[in-house]
Amino acid sequence: MQTITPTPTPTPTHAHDGRLTTPRPTVDVSRSSAKAEEALVVKSRAEGLSFYYGQVKALKNLNIEMREKRVTALIGPSGCGKTTFLRCFNRMHDLTPGTRYEGRIILFPDSIDLVARDVDPIEVRMRIGMVFQKPNPFPKSIVENVAYGLRVRGMRSNARIGEEVERALRRAALWEEVKDRLENSGLSLSGGQQQRLCIARALATNPEILLFDEPTSALDPIATARIEELIAELRDQVTVIIVTHNMQQAARVSDYTAFMYLGELIEFDNTSKLFTNPSQKATEDYITGRYG
Amino acid sequence: MSEPSEGHTFKAYDGALSDLRLRAHSMGVLVADQVKTAVRALLESDREAAELVLVREQQINAYQTEIEAEIFSLLARQAPVASDLRMVLAISRAVTDLERAGDEAKKIARFALVSAARMAGGPSRVMHKPLRNMAELASESMRVAVDALDRGDARVAHDVARLDREIDQEFEAALRQLMTVAMERTRLLRSIFDTVFALKSLERIGDHAKNVAEHVVFLVSGADVRHATAPERAVPAKGSQH
Repeated sequence: MQTITPTPTPTPTHAHDGRLTTPRPTVDVSRSSAKAEEALVVKSRAEGLSFYYGQVKALKNLNIEMREKRVTALIGPSGCGKTTFLRCFNRMHDLTPGTRYEGRIILFPDSIDLVARDVDPIEVRMRIGMVFQKPNPFPKSIVENVAYGLRVRGMRSNARIGEEVERALRRAALWEEVKDRLENSGLSLSGGQQQRLCIARALATNPEILLFDEPTSALDPIATARIEELIAELRDQVTVIIVTHNMQQAARVSDYTAFMYLGELIEFDNTSKLFTNPSQKATEDYITGRYG
Repeated sequence: MSEPSEGHTFKAYDGALSDLRLRAHSMGVLVADQVKTAVRALLESDREAAELVLVREQQINAYQTEIEAEIFSLLARQAPVASDLRMVLAISRAVTDLERAGDEAKKIARFALVSAARMAGGPSRVMHKPLRNMAELASESMRVAVDALDRGDARVAHDVARLDREIDQEFEAALRQLMTVAMERTRLLRSIFDTVFALKSLERIGDHAKNVAEHVVFLVSGADVRHATAPERAVPAKGSQH
């Protein structure tokens, strides 16, 4: 098994603002079955991450690296913790009472511990965008949906906002379809267009990581293919982590796949390797439909 | 690699994969028998046996068509992955080798028919033993290979490779012997040519059996050893899968 191979690093020390002194690692490809590609850089690393809903330990000591400008898919049966893990990255659990983190999720290059108490979740969400299962545009115009994050960031110039909105809509492959009706409600768009609007909204603040939580489960096959194509295009620009129940989708869009079960990380590997010759029996059983 | 648990949640998928394995095995057993029957027809000038080989050749072709159609449908409908995908690919590749081995048996049966029609008595007596030996070895290696394919047992790949080497050695020895005969008894040239073609067909059948064994290694370990050197082959073979 190409195990989760946290590159050996010096013990990080917390600074006052949640920053760690850990140097930014590169992935040791010689220890990975992933063939020696161009130098891979780790964008984020979970170190001994556990997460509790009250007394329930939903994530158990996860150690995994997310490579920069690569797509990592999280797969596993319902309740395995993949969405819980995804939500840790932008602190979505903060408002749920009784939840607790142990361990760290380090964001590089500045080595911030994303789950440290003294790290501002609002700032985290500016750097780590999220797209949900069901499209959830604001009940505002198309342009205001995308401009929202920019305004929250303090951008005032309408001309500048207009430029950034167009750029985000283009990156989300939606510009050509909506450029003549930017003032229409975001809710007037089709399901697939709404989801791309949500992606544009997330892209507008230039996030470093984009989280997708089953982004196509409410979409038809054509709209799904467009989102998958979009993810493939975004791979060059941003680090993507995607939770999906659709294993063929994970196989199609991701560079790396992590299989989770009962809150544990069972196997992490190059997607081609994991879907043709997994190392772990549990992975084999799950992806071939023998699970349970 | 990991060994999967028995049985998919979706039982129809299980049934389709199991049916595929069963058909491939039946096809392989038939091919192994074709080899023996064809050589017997040749050595004993047995027209009936030769005709039987030609008739059963149609059956082998039908197996190939059916199995490949089944694989085509499985790929489209079930999108197999991991060990399932490797099994489907291994069977797809093996079926091609089995069909070609069947063609070689057919060639031998045709020689048998032609030589029986010529009343020439078939291959020279001195060639009976090498032909029989090679037919035994080729048929045996094919049977071992298709059993291994059915069981997902890569350990026997080495046995098949050894049998193939024996076949090759037997072939070389028979050729040397035939050259001597050809120089001494030129009126037997026609018979000698037929014998060489039959021997060459048996040697090719040994190669196809070795290929099937290599597909079994791929099935079990995921390693493609078709063009690997001997030390590389030694690494991936693992035990029984199913």
